[in-house]
Amino acid sequence: MSISENDVQNALKNLIDPNTKKDFVSGKSVKNVKITGADVALDILLGYPAQSVWDEIRAMVENHLKAALPGVGKVTANVSSKVVPHAVQRGVKLVEGVKNIIAVASGKGGVGKSTTAVNLALALSAEGARVGILDADIYGPSQPTMLGISGMPESTDGKSMEPMQAHGLQAMSIGFLIDSHDTPMVWRGPMVTQALDQLLHQTRWDNLDYLVLDLPPGTGDIQLTLAQKVPVTGAVIVTTPQDIALMDARKGLKMFEKTGIKIVGIVENMSTHICSKCGHEEHIFGAGGGEKMCADYNVEFLGGLPLDINIREQTDSGRPTVVADPNGNIAKSYKQIARRVAVKIAEMAQDHSAAFPKIVVQNT
Amino acid sequence: MSIQPTEIKLHQQSRVLEISFSDNVTYQLPYEYLRVYSPSAEVTGHGPGEAVLQTGKKNVGIREIVPAGSYAIQIEFDDGHDSGIYTWEYLHELGARQAELWQDYLDRLAAAGESREAR
Repeated sequence: MSISENDVQNALKNLIDPNTKKDFVSGKSVKNVKITGADVALDILLGYPAQSVWDEIRAMVENHLKAALPGVGKVTANVSSKVVPHAVQRGVKLVEGVKNIIAVASGKGGVGKSTTAVNLALALSAEGARVGILDADIYGPSQPTMLGISGMPESTDGKSMEPMQAHGLQAMSIGFLIDSHDTPMVWRGPMVTQALDQLLHQTRWDNLDYLVLDLPPGTGDIQLTLAQKVPVTGAVIVTTPQDIALMDARKGLKMFEKTGIKIVGIVENMSTHICSKCGHEEHIFGAGGGEKMCADYNVEFLGGLPLDINIREQTDSGRPTVVADPNGNIAKSYKQIARRVAVKIAEMAQDHSAAFPKIVVQNT
Repeated sequence: MSIQPTEIKLHQQSRVLEISFSDNVTYQLPYEYLRVYSPSAEVTGHGPGEAVLQTGKKNVGIREIVPAGSYAIQIEFDDGHDSGIYTWEYLHELGARQAELWQDYLDRLAAAGESREAR
């Protein structure tokens, strides 16, 4: 019996991608099916970076096809990833060199936004994506310290800046542009939003799949500018489990809903405390707060992270956990969260249902 | 997002903004109506009771519409007023309550002894 391309497609309709929870055919991942005699060769193109699981997926597809197609000869699957650029609304200028912008936000300060943002960026990068991080916290920039970068960005043309580099990330922060660590930015709102606009548009981002935006807390000037002027693909909300943080996280979420920015999901930071002496794990800020918020607003719970002294020490010393201990449990959690974020961003990039309406001017 | 417009048409001769929504309704909103009900603080004031009655806007035109993110439009009128950001929800409400709100405006004009005509 000879095998047709249809047989291959049909067989793959029954194989679910564990990351997207969709089959490979409706996920539009199956490309370039070639049949030579009894041998089958095909490409699997994933819409999210997943270098660490390419082999796993290759084995899964090959084994599935061997089982589903009796009489098949050699099966060769080529797995790779290609991140889809986000389609933006008309009128908002695309950021040059950036395919997708992921905003990391919270209502409350001190919940670990910057730590989550930098580890998320590094986790996406570890999966093979080209990633940048923009520190949008003008009053309290943290990324220079967290990435261990000092010095000033260079300019080759006198108009734009080259992003700084650390651990494979491209980075930009107001912190790179001021003289010393204790210089305050004593600025009113309009200055702050202008500065964000310049950091975003005057940095020469080099072909990024994702730009992670580390936002300041709150629902003020910076967040509003972001909603009105920046083509954000989706927002990740960071909270801790206690009520006082959740209360503000809900406001942050509502703000994004009001301004038409899609919510990727919620990350619960400091879910549990692991005692560095005895290893005992305890819900010191309460249990299940993040999950409950997700259920209330019908958004995805992306994962929880422990309050662990290592995360703090590594991040403070300029080597965040994902690079300091890439195979540890915490890095694994960050990578899982990053995978979910990437999968959801890929879905959002293809979803045009909430596209900006056409504006027509008529002489009638 | 629940309500999403599908198309916005500016009829520059008749001065009417035609807006269709995803819930299959279409509203014809005259420029004057949009102008006098601008959500800008220049019109609504900064608190209750501070609203400023807009007068003489019968022939106001629209110069440009600028998208604000993906949730609203900013309308630039030809009298220089451009600070109103009209969200989809607000435009939908202006459509649904058009008769009532317009009558309310006319009543307030009459009470103040003002007119729609430009002076």
